[in-house]
Amino acid sequence: MNTSNPQAGHLNALTTRQTRALFGLIVTTLVAAAVACASGSFDISLWALLKGNASALEQSVFNQIRVPRVLLSGLVGASLGLSGAALQGLFRNPLADPGLIGVSAGAALGAALIIVLGSQFAVGATLGAFLLPVAAISGAALVILLLYIMTRGFGYQGVTYMLLVGIAVNALASVGIGVLTYISDDAELRSLTFWSMGSFGGVTWPLLVPALLAITVALLMMAPAARALDLLQLGEVEASRLGVDIVRLRYRVIFSAAAAVGASVSLSGMIGFVGLIVPHLVRLIGGVNHRYLLPGSALAGAGLLISADLLARTLIQPAELPVGLITSAVGSPFFLWLIFRMQKL
Amino acid sequence: MTISAAAVAVEIDGKCLLNDVPLCIEPGQIIAVVGPNGAGKSTLIAAIAGDITPTEGIIRHHDNDLQTLSFLDRAAIRSVMAQSQSVVYDFSVLDIIAMGWVRGRDGESARQFGAAVSAIVEECAIAELLGRTFNSLSGGEQRRVHFARALMQLWRPRGSANSAYLLLDEPTANLGLAHEVRLLKKLTALAADGIGILLVVHDLNIAAKFADKIALLHSGRMTCIGAPKDVLTAERLSKVFEIPISIDPNPLTIKYY
Repeated sequence: MNTSNPQAGHLNALTTRQTRALFGLIVTTLVAAAVACASGSFDISLWALLKGNASALEQSVFNQIRVPRVLLSGLVGASLGLSGAALQGLFRNPLADPGLIGVSAGAALGAALIIVLGSQFAVGATLGAFLLPVAAISGAALVILLLYIMTRGFGYQGVTYMLLVGIAVNALASVGIGVLTYISDDAELRSLTFWSMGSFGGVTWPLLVPALLAITVALLMMAPAARALDLLQLGEVEASRLGVDIVRLRYRVIFSAAAAVGASVSLSGMIGFVGLIVPHLVRLIGGVNHRYLLPGSALAGAGLLISADLLARTLIQPAELPVGLITSAVGSPFFLWLIFRMQKL
Repeated sequence: MTISAAAVAVEIDGKCLLNDVPLCIEPGQIIAVVGPNGAGKSTLIAAIAGDITPTEGIIRHHDNDLQTLSFLDRAAIRSVMAQSQSVVYDFSVLDIIAMGWVRGRDGESARQFGAAVSAIVEECAIAELLGRTFNSLSGGEQRRVHFARALMQLWRPRGSANSAYLLLDEPTANLGLAHEVRLLKKLTALAADGIGILLVVHDLNIAAKFADKIALLHSGRMTCIGAPKDVLTAERLSKVFEIPISIDPNPLTIKYY
């Protein structure tokens, strides 16, 4: 790097502040993950585990319950945070959030269809594990397609337009879920209710694997879009003048957001506001460039949901709160504050 | 190695915005597009830039049909400074300027980036704006930054053989006098370096003073194209702009240039 030239590194590198922010987020997320693995209604000594003199019970709680759960909450948080950041960039709308614009609701409807009607299809357990995420991803993709049509190809129509569409989509999806609730039997109703409030409980490795795959692929697909998303903030015409193929960028971001959100919803239900809050916090800490914002939002989302899940299962132990309740409790006042601050828009 | 348009027509929603327009920009040439409001000046820039596809006719960049060129290829050939843009998030001025860099991000081109930024920041006199957020700038300051970004996109290592083109739509709008003069001088210098320039201007004096050729548009048609003294006749201008216009070869000349 040219030292006589302070701007020389600006092309690819993160600023010092952004590097520090990312480093801080990594540390915070790891600490949160370690604490979350150790605590709960049954405390595990990580130190004993490392030394290898933990009891068999501690071992199995750690391997079969805590690690998958923390891994899942981290991954779901990462995909919601990253999808929120990418959608806010793609739509040039600071209020875009997979939940608010109805994408999560579409995924939820897809998943609910399988939870209630899935028993009608005689499929094996392995295939069944894939069926739920596939249905949820399809639901998310359908909603994004609807948004595409409503905004005439994601043209910029003002910040509120897409939120209004989101309200309508959310209402439509809840009609669908309502009908499914009505026709479901007792067992289906139970799992539907628990699932729809958003929870990381009851995760097992076989359930985790398909969604893990979908989420990882989505995260990797999103990463190369960072510069194009930056350029897009100048407007679509300007971005294409600078060499961005807008249509391909849209497909990339939308497909990966649908996959990430769909897979997340299929495993943990609708967890609101993470995709909205996280990118804003990350921007406040270190700036708006997507090469920083995308990884930052993935990390912060992971850290946030791991912590929220830790609270959800320790606040009223041995009982458990739905994690969606906690994120909404934090997120909705934040949303109000955002609206208040953005009155000029 | 030119940018050319042959018999270009643009029709949007059944309204004919351009009709049978020819144009050829050669390296080192400044062409000013003038004409009354609604004459199709901005549409012409958009068609030449590749933002809109002409309904008829063909646009060539370096002998290639524009439609066959990828977005990146186009970005390497021509740079556009548009009328106005809004940016949603708080990007810094340096971020915005860096967005103009289309020359690759590794090795040699990444090293050239630093030199290009310093040179352009100095030429455009925007050093004091660099640390600020783009959205906090005034309209005129934003235009200066966009101009710097357009220059970043054009930047070439010394002695590079590839010709490049700069398209500008009302570049001097909102600019203070000093910055207007600086921008026009920079355009002249770019042309001397072999950059072909197409600019839309309202001020006929600027067009006459700085352009090698003037293209007069009227109701989507190219009324006349040629050297300023041939195109800008009192009779023709009066007819096109629908007000009496006289041309007076400098009684009292105020020169800023």
